[in-house]
Amino acid sequence: MIRALAFALVVAALPVAAHDLRVFASVSGQTVTVESTFSSGRTPTGGAVRVLDADNVLLMTLEIGAEGKTQFTLPEGTANTGLMIEVEVNEGHSDYWMLTPDDIAYGQGTN
Amino acid sequence: MKTLMTAAALAAFATTATAHYGMIIPSDNMVSQEDGRSIDLTLSFSHPFEGVGMVLEMPEAFTVTHGGETTDLLDTLEDTQVMDHAGFATEYRLERPGTHVFALTPQPYWEPEEDAFITHFTKTYVSAYGDDEGWDAELGLKTEIVPLSKPFALWEGNLFQGIVKLDGEPVPYAEVEVEYYNEDGSAVAPSDLMITQTIKADADGVFSYAVPTAGWWGFAALNTAAEPMQHDGEDKAHELGAVIWVHFEPWATE
Repeated sequence: MIRALAFALVVAALPVAAHDLRVFASVSGQTVTVESTFSSGRTPTGGAVRVLDADNVLLMTLEIGAEGKTQFTLPEGTANTGLMIEVEVNEGHSDYWMLTPDDIAYGQGTN
Repeated sequence: MKTLMTAAALAAFATTATAHYGMIIPSDNMVSQEDGRSIDLTLSFSHPFEGVGMVLEMPEAFTVTHGGETTDLLDTLEDTQVMDHAGFATEYRLERPGTHVFALTPQPYWEPEEDAFITHFTKTYVSAYGDDEGWDAELGLKTEIVPLSKPFALWEGNLFQGIVKLDGEPVPYAEVEVEYYNEDGSAVAPSDLMITQTIKADADGVFSYAVPTAGWWGFAALNTAAEPMQHDGEDKAHELGAVIWVHFEPWATE
């Protein structure tokens, strides 16, 4: 919950009209998988995935991969603080997933 | 004395006149990522408008269906009290986005006052992380209400529609009982006839009902099984209920 509060400012900065795109991220071991889909069930053919740390520092920008999936290695030192993952396909089509420390611990089987 | 007896008689009448409901009530039915990752579910058997509980024995089945995959959750159930009677509770982690359908198959309940067994196949739909994929899922239960309206993200006053099915086939003119979960006891019925409202499906088994207020509403489509059940060596009717619990949201303005 504290982590969610820390992310609140970042969330507020995102556009409101973000409902068409849905972003979900999960962890398996050290790999983070980001899944981006439209509410129609189709997947975006391109777009940017921005990975920020809990202090809102941009760690990396990645391309959306095949079938809307993007994978990267969990950045060192972020397991206890979490990540903000923002996906922007184009103007008006963006969404985010707050990868919380609990999400990471669950995905790593340590909670 | 006469007054007391009348009151007692009325109380007894009120209990028998209203509907039985299998219940699955989640702590939240539209879970956003900010809400957390888990929900609590409470299972019971009751008269939901009057807040009168009955004992729910350990169910025959309790499952969650997501993305076409069904998972047994029976082992996760813990004893609890609902309306002063035995029920069950569990916590469930929503691992992925999409609609999660929770379904309860109870043991047949012997109701001496109705001289019949009652089995209510009960379910409710929970959306995780802003994704409604799978909201119209049909589970293939013995009897089931298949939603035509998305069974969440509904305003109070919205029309709710579903198809009543028995053995996978629509039931023409099926009787559907509708009852409000009067959780805080604040709702008052001007007549006993309005504790449980009764409607009928059309020739295609489709029923429609517009709820007057926000909260949890239970829809129970009732049919009698082709096969009777035995009680003390006698054939008894077996009521098969298809129950769905749907939450309606209050209209909100800033």
